[in-house]
Amino acid sequence: MNGFRTLLFAVAGFLLHSTHGLSQVIVIANASVRSSSASKADLREVFSGTSSTLRDGTRVVPVFHRPGPVQDEFVATYLGKSDAAFRAAWRSLVFSGQANMPRSLDSDSAVVAYVARTPGSIGYIESKSSHESVKVLAVQ
Amino acid sequence: MTADTGNVRLDDRLKSFLVVALALAFSVAFSAPAQVLDKYDVQLHGYATQGFLYSTQNNIYTTDSSDVSPRWTDAVVNIGAIPSAKIRVGAQVRYFLFGNYSNGVSLDWAQVDYRVNQHFGVRAGKVKTPSSLYNEVQDIDPAYIWSLLPPSVYPVSSRNSFLSHVGGVAYGNVQVGDGLGKLEYRAWGGRQKIGPSDGIFVIYRELGLDLPEGLRGGYFGGTLRWKTPISGLLVGAADTWKSDWQSKVVLINAALTGKETVRAFNLPNYFLSYSHGKFEAAAECTRVHPVILDAFPGLSPITIRVDTRAWYVLGSYKVTKKLGTGLYFSEQVDHAALLGNPARFSKDWALAARYDFNQYLYLKAEQHFIDGTAIVYDTELNPRGLKPDTRLTILKIGVSF
Repeated sequence: MNGFRTLLFAVAGFLLHSTHGLSQVIVIANASVRSSSASKADLREVFSGTSSTLRDGTRVVPVFHRPGPVQDEFVATYLGKSDAAFRAAWRSLVFSGQANMPRSLDSDSAVVAYVARTPGSIGYIESKSSHESVKVLAVQ
Repeated sequence: MTADTGNVRLDDRLKSFLVVALALAFSVAFSAPAQVLDKYDVQLHGYATQGFLYSTQNNIYTTDSSDVSPRWTDAVVNIGAIPSAKIRVGAQVRYFLFGNYSNGVSLDWAQVDYRVNQHFGVRAGKVKTPSSLYNEVQDIDPAYIWSLLPPSVYPVSSRNSFLSHVGGVAYGNVQVGDGLGKLEYRAWGGRQKIGPSDGIFVIYRELGLDLPEGLRGGYFGGTLRWKTPISGLLVGAADTWKSDWQSKVVLINAALTGKETVRAFNLPNYFLSYSHGKFEAAAECTRVHPVILDAFPGLSPITIRVDTRAWYVLGSYKVTKKLGTGLYFSEQVDHAALLGNPARFSKDWALAARYDFNQYLYLKAEQHFIDGTAIVYDTELNPRGLKPDTRLTILKIGVSF
């Protein structure tokens, strides 16, 4: 019984430790994007390639992160998928001619720079990263 | 016959045009300055897979699978660009080898896509046909866990011929109402060509018939997909209407040439899919019921009736970030065939696993337990006759970029 308790504590400790490193992901957009907010459903549609507009009609172009913690957290939180499943779904769209793959950038600073200079673009970064040149969308 | 020859020429001219256009697109892509590629978001993607088949009891899919066959290779190159906010252009070429079905390069699709808004867009050229749940993506191996999609609805032997058509697709979606989900709609029309090396004609040759020019004809259809308010649940239906298709047919043993007519018929599909986190499930059913007439000079017409009803149910689960597993049951029964004959049906239980080494490289393994022989077997490769059941093991390695 003591062994079982030790195992439970060990698992709980591991889970706490593994989630401790995650910080909040925020959604950013180019200044030309009219909306100041987006719903979770909007983000799911736009980032899964089934829509190119937010609910209020604003046309947007998504930009991705390279595989890593930010990408994992965003797709898990807003799309309910693993990054592998997310990319597999996009490959389906690309290889069947239904979409072009959005750009995947290496870092938060690269995403911020691209979103700042590209009208209509929408991306995501860690909240602690610098993002003065773009607007932050509130997620409802 | 004149009209048919004209169609052959039209198809060949169109194919030549598309191949030249694609070659030009590739040459532009490789020679253009980086800022031009960046401006038009020119992208190059591709994937390649190599499969190995091992079976007991019967040799399957026109391969020597009882000795482990490596005759399953796919290689795809895709180029796309976005010249303006509403227009996309792209093309995809494929090398496909599968048993004795195919061994060559073909154009998967080459299209211009004009998307007015989310409610309406149109693709024209050689386009993927959205005639069922997975038809548009059934040849895209990196996109799913399975090595073979359920064969009753997605027969790999005639996969390439049913993937696309020359013509167009109109598409769009609309919110049904607050809290009622979203409706996606697609309508398509044009001409389809089933090449003479298609797996469907293996059955013809077993009957002593050959279609040296394959089959071609017009068809159109529509699909509705309802993304329901229940998160992850999609329900849909599609129907395809084919006109009368005609082609030259040869009675092999008598060296007689005649005319084959596949009478007009429709292909209904009903499907649903559900995904929640790491779990995905889907089910689909369809019915194929053509009447085929073969007329030869001096002989009574031969009438072939088929009434195949097919369905499957599948589920998959992502065990870890790199490992996924799945299970499906797939069944097809030809209700026009003689009772008691194993060639009348196929019932296939399949267990699958996929391991992603990284975002580019993956390995698949799949075990099939097949009862019945309705899927394609070649009697020349099974000289002692077909046994009623088959065990099939598949290993597949793939890379995509």
